[in-house]
Amino acid sequence: MSRRASILALVTAIALTIAACGGDTGTTTTAGDEGTTTAAPGTTASPDTTAAPSTTAEGSGDPIVVGGTLSLTGAFAATGAIHKVAGEMFIERLNAAGGLLGREVQWNLLDDESDTANIAPLYEQLISQDQVDLIMGPYATPNILAAMPVAERYGYTLPQHTAVLAPLMTYACQFPGWSIGPEPNSFIPNQIADALDSLDGAVSTVALLTNESGSTAFISYGVADDPDDPSTLNILPERGYEIVADIPYPPGYEDWGSTAAQVRDANADLVLVNGLGVEANSLIDAMQQLDYTPPMMFALFPAPGPLLGLGDAAQGTLSVSIFEPNEPILEQMDPEVREIVDEFAERAAAEEIPYTVFETQAAASWNAWEILAQGVEGAGSTDGQGICDSLHSTGAELTFSGAVTFDPAVNNFWDTTEGLKQIQGSEWVMVWPEDIAAGALAGPTG
Amino acid sequence: MIELQAAVSGALNGSLYALMALGLSLAWGFLKVINLAHFAMILLAGYLTFELATSTGLSPIATIVVTAPLMFLVGALIQLGYERFDVSELNSLLISYGLLIITVQVVTNIWTADFQRLPSEINPFSAESLAVGSLRFPMPTLLAAGFAVVLVVAAALVLGRTYAGRALQAFGQDREIASAFGIDHRLLGVLLAGAAGASAAVAGMLFPIGGTLTPDLPFEWIGLVFAIVILGGIGNVTGTLYAGLLVGATSGLVAVIWTPSTSPFVVFSLVVLALVFRPKGLFPQKGG
Amino acid sequence: MRHKGWLALVGIAVAVVALPAIRHSTDFPMFYLIFLSGILFWTAQSTSWNILSGYSGYFSFGQGAFFGVGVYTMAVLFGRQGINWWVAALAAGLAAMLLGLAIGTIAFRLRSLRGEIFALLTLAIPFILASLARLSKAIDGGQGIVIPVPEAPSFLSQFQEFVFVVSGVVALFALTVAYVMQHTRYGWALFAIRDDEDVAEGLGVPTFFHKMIAIGVTGLIAGISGAVAALQLGFVSVEGTFNLDVPLFVIVMSVLGGRGHWAGPMVGAVYVYTLQNRLASGGFEGWSLIVLGALLVLVMLLAPEGLMAGFRRRPWLSAGIFIVIFLGLWLLGITSDPVTALALALGVTAVIAFIPGGGDRSTSSLVDSGEPQEHHAPVGDEPTDERAEVGRPLLVAENVVMTFGGVRALRGVSMRIHEGELVGLVGPNGSGKTTLVNLISGAFPPTSGSISLDGTGIVGARPHRVAHLGIARTYQIPRPFTSLTVRDNVAMAIMFGREPLGLDASRRAASEYLDLVGMGGRADAFPGEINLHQRQLLEMARAIATRPSLLLLDEALAGLNPVEIDNAVDVVRRIRASGVSIVLVEHLLRVVNQLATRIVVLDQGLELAEGEPAVVMRDPAVVKAYLGRQADAAGD
Repeated sequence: MSRRASILALVTAIALTIAACGGDTGTTTTAGDEGTTTAAPGTTASPDTTAAPSTTAEGSGDPIVVGGTLSLTGAFAATGAIHKVAGEMFIERLNAAGGLLGREVQWNLLDDESDTANIAPLYEQLISQDQVDLIMGPYATPNILAAMPVAERYGYTLPQHTAVLAPLMTYACQFPGWSIGPEPNSFIPNQIADALDSLDGAVSTVALLTNESGSTAFISYGVADDPDDPSTLNILPERGYEIVADIPYPPGYEDWGSTAAQVRDANADLVLVNGLGVEANSLIDAMQQLDYTPPMMFALFPAPGPLLGLGDAAQGTLSVSIFEPNEPILEQMDPEVREIVDEFAERAAAEEIPYTVFETQAAASWNAWEILAQGVEGAGSTDGQGICDSLHSTGAELTFSGAVTFDPAVNNFWDTTEGLKQIQGSEWVMVWPEDIAAGALAGPTG
Repeated sequence: MIELQAAVSGALNGSLYALMALGLSLAWGFLKVINLAHFAMILLAGYLTFELATSTGLSPIATIVVTAPLMFLVGALIQLGYERFDVSELNSLLISYGLLIITVQVVTNIWTADFQRLPSEINPFSAESLAVGSLRFPMPTLLAAGFAVVLVVAAALVLGRTYAGRALQAFGQDREIASAFGIDHRLLGVLLAGAAGASAAVAGMLFPIGGTLTPDLPFEWIGLVFAIVILGGIGNVTGTLYAGLLVGATSGLVAVIWTPSTSPFVVFSLVVLALVFRPKGLFPQKGG
Repeated sequence: MRHKGWLALVGIAVAVVALPAIRHSTDFPMFYLIFLSGILFWTAQSTSWNILSGYSGYFSFGQGAFFGVGVYTMAVLFGRQGINWWVAALAAGLAAMLLGLAIGTIAFRLRSLRGEIFALLTLAIPFILASLARLSKAIDGGQGIVIPVPEAPSFLSQFQEFVFVVSGVVALFALTVAYVMQHTRYGWALFAIRDDEDVAEGLGVPTFFHKMIAIGVTGLIAGISGAVAALQLGFVSVEGTFNLDVPLFVIVMSVLGGRGHWAGPMVGAVYVYTLQNRLASGGFEGWSLIVLGALLVLVMLLAPEGLMAGFRRRPWLSAGIFIVIFLGLWLLGITSDPVTALALALGVTAVIAFIPGGGDRSTSSLVDSGEPQEHHAPVGDEPTDERAEVGRPLLVAENVVMTFGGVRALRGVSMRIHEGELVGLVGPNGSGKTTLVNLISGAFPPTSGSISLDGTGIVGARPHRVAHLGIARTYQIPRPFTSLTVRDNVAMAIMFGREPLGLDASRRAASEYLDLVGMGGRADAFPGEINLHQRQLLEMARAIATRPSLLLLDEALAGLNPVEIDNAVDVVRRIRASGVSIVLVEHLLRVVNQLATRIVVLDQGLELAEGEPAVVMRDPAVVKAYLGRQADAAGD
């Protein structure tokens, strides 16, 4: 009997704990100067919110609440953390400078758990229940694609950091913070070819590896049902580079040993990995185990830190970037940039983010927040259509990407400033195109 | 030539999965417990290996002195729990799934969801290999294969040659009869579960030597590891090793002959065929 | 109960129709509609899973496969080809149903693919489908598919309302199917399969057919629901679709809610979804899996039958507490948010499910568990002349051989059973008696030889066909359906008999058979609450309820005390008097001598002797073979 009783007590305690967890609806809301956590609008409203329309006044004292989700847990959490730090920093600086329209800005940030299925309900919740004034997109292309229809239905302007698949981003009031132009599937292979051309024939053959998911497969093969769509597979041969191996692999692929053997036997001048995360790392490890080091490597969207961690094995590896805080670049830019970069490094370290350099991801995040802030100031209100119209008519002035304009005909994907970066020594260095490069492109080894 | 190298690399890779499958298969075959918490123990051991090696500078292999006894204890405790509540085979699956998702979340909360790799200073194996002619045997998976062979041979000897092993076999076939002959199944079961936990620690030690840790790895392992358990035959330790090598070599070969994306299709179709035509595994034991 | 069930379904239907209609006039926030849509989606998925895995006990990890086929049928047909969305949704249901039937065609024919092996087979299927979708550029090709917003009917002003209504219709469909199945033969067949598939088949349940229905229905519902989810998501990808989320969530939800009841998965869906929602929006995202995992472990250890079973023990208390707390918190303004109030109320109500006992089920076991009742049936009280009235041959077995691996269990046995006979089948352990019983009842076909009943060959016929032809059997160790009452155990045999009756009629008819064996007083007990003798009587009642012409009693008296044996002998006489021929496999020679009109002695797979009991028992060969070894077995 005493066992029964103790179990019962345990269950009761757990049930109450669960209930208590549910009872606290305070959300992590980054407010003003101290980054304090304040209650979400939902908890402060009257009990009958369900029956009453929004009471959020437009009075000058009320804060402007920006709603959004990031992947704070789950598979995308590593990058989600970068966007969280960048966003928090941006809002602090914005509020320190007087906020937006003279009002304080707060960020109502929810966790989407890296699950695309959570995105639409959470954005619905933010807009219809929490009645946020503005929204900021989530991280990762599928998540942004899931948030877009919600924003469209409510007429909210959706700035977003990282969805580069221009053809899919069809909502006219969606504004990318990172652009590879309207046709990344053509731009990226052409830019690679341009860079290779400058090496005077040192590279002539290419082994292509592709993660068969979203953006990476799009860059390699174009849209799935059109073989003539521009793609790495089509463009490189047109530009005189022979593709000697074409190896698609599934997400979560582990068996790199056999693939490395295949790449070694292809003996290409350039191993081009249109992959994600640490896939390039795994491939390099596996190739080293076969005593093989390719003359040159390219990785499309790698996790930046781990590749640097490989030391000599990854020297000369190329990737894409919209911003790298290289000394020559910082010298040319506004001194504010150096401040941002340094502060970010500090805060990222405090949050235990392993790679603390303010690079493409953080810059894209910053761009998206600037687009939102300038849209609001331009419109003079938080009205979604107003912001959208203002951005379409006047564009935006971005700290990290300069002046950009938005054309709905190309889904607002602005003229890209994207270039190529290369591991040189212990850092990523912008090497292409030459006019924005901080260092010279190093050719193949061996 | 490339096919041979791919088959070798793949087979060695498969031996790591066989090592993961070993404890699972033993517990299932002899204790009638489908212990998904086995994956939790591998994950936890992997992160502990990472943490111990990076904080002390020890070789990751040395960390097993700590992780193996610890996981033995964890495995034994979980088994005690199953015994205490008299958990059925199917219920053990659900309960251990609960334990698995708890572990995944706890690991995420402690080590973040970011990729964790052993730095090359303390993990010299990641880029090394053994050369035999033009063939290369990658060191991380070669280590895994070595450990797998040692553990499988040890398990086969203990099960086949010792009183405890035979008692376990009797118990696996018929609990009631075995109990009637005075076999203390509870103690034996707890010891076996502890041993399975220690094998999880070995697998967990080997994984970060060759790969990158993320908290959601167990969900990527489940499919392949269960495939190996089934193909090897539930409770058949040598079969598990053969199945691991076979699955690994097959996916390696398929990856170079067709594409890596075809591998899961071939491997899991093989599983379905095996289940339909050889439900006791591809490598039946004598008398089994 | 039936009224309550229909009322619940009608209530949900009204809500699905009414909420969008009154939303504008009441300012019902959109968020709650979306929240409810989520619950409806998971209700449909977990109810779908429960029909196969809860009702029939075929535990499946393959829910993601059915869901995924639904998602991709919608994505390809509507998203890429532009076919009308609801046509695509129906096609999605059909495609997933076909997948289910294909899996069933292979898996359900093999005895080896039961239990965990079936579960693992279904685990492999989503991996294969994911691989296919990725490889085929016509399906996905790896990049994902964007699905445009469908044109909703004009009376639904917004997309979310449209999703809510469609999800509601799908969930209602799922619940109605589950409800109707639970209360008809289709569900009962599955319950019998879950409890003991071989016994069910032997009693006349066409198990293959019913399992195919179950997996087909599961696929159909999961496919349609997946198609609707694809519409709602707007973008689908291989890794987002064929992951372990759907299979694991439906399992957690169904187990938590309770697998035995149609509404269990819905209850689980409400709990899990609400909990997840509150944890995520409460800033406890780092805790949601921990809480969910702990909940799963606790429920499995403390209330493995699920929350629904607990609520049904105390329906009014559960409902009362829930309503009082929910309305109290919300209307009194203690929490501003109804979802939070819902979460709190659910949490507190859940405790009720963990309080053991309270129902009539557990108390009844204390009553009347002693000796069987003295029962004097109207027929067969006076022993009939057991040596007389032998009619035409009923069962004819010719040269039956059965080998298992290298072992020859039967080496060529021929025998005839005539109408009205009661044949004692005896022999030492391992002589092949039980094998012969298994062959005659169709459990498996003989290696060679023929068996026919009334001139109809039964070799190769499935056991339920054999049962319908008129052969019934009992098991040495009784194998009742443990989740059904004694009465319903017998009713099952009638529902699936040669002339099947409906549930109510079967229950009424069951009483007659229970009276015949003297079990009328324990009709409402569960098998776990009666003793071994009573379970053996139940075996007999269930067997004769199939109205056999030939009854095979496999050691039906094993383990009984002398008083119980005398009672059982009376029952066997009464059964024979009702016109059933009987084969009695028995160790106890006293009983065989007393009852049998004729004895057949098997030894080492061959017929050793045959004839009148008194004559056969004096045969020196029989004495040597049988009694010589019988001495060893006397202990058990």
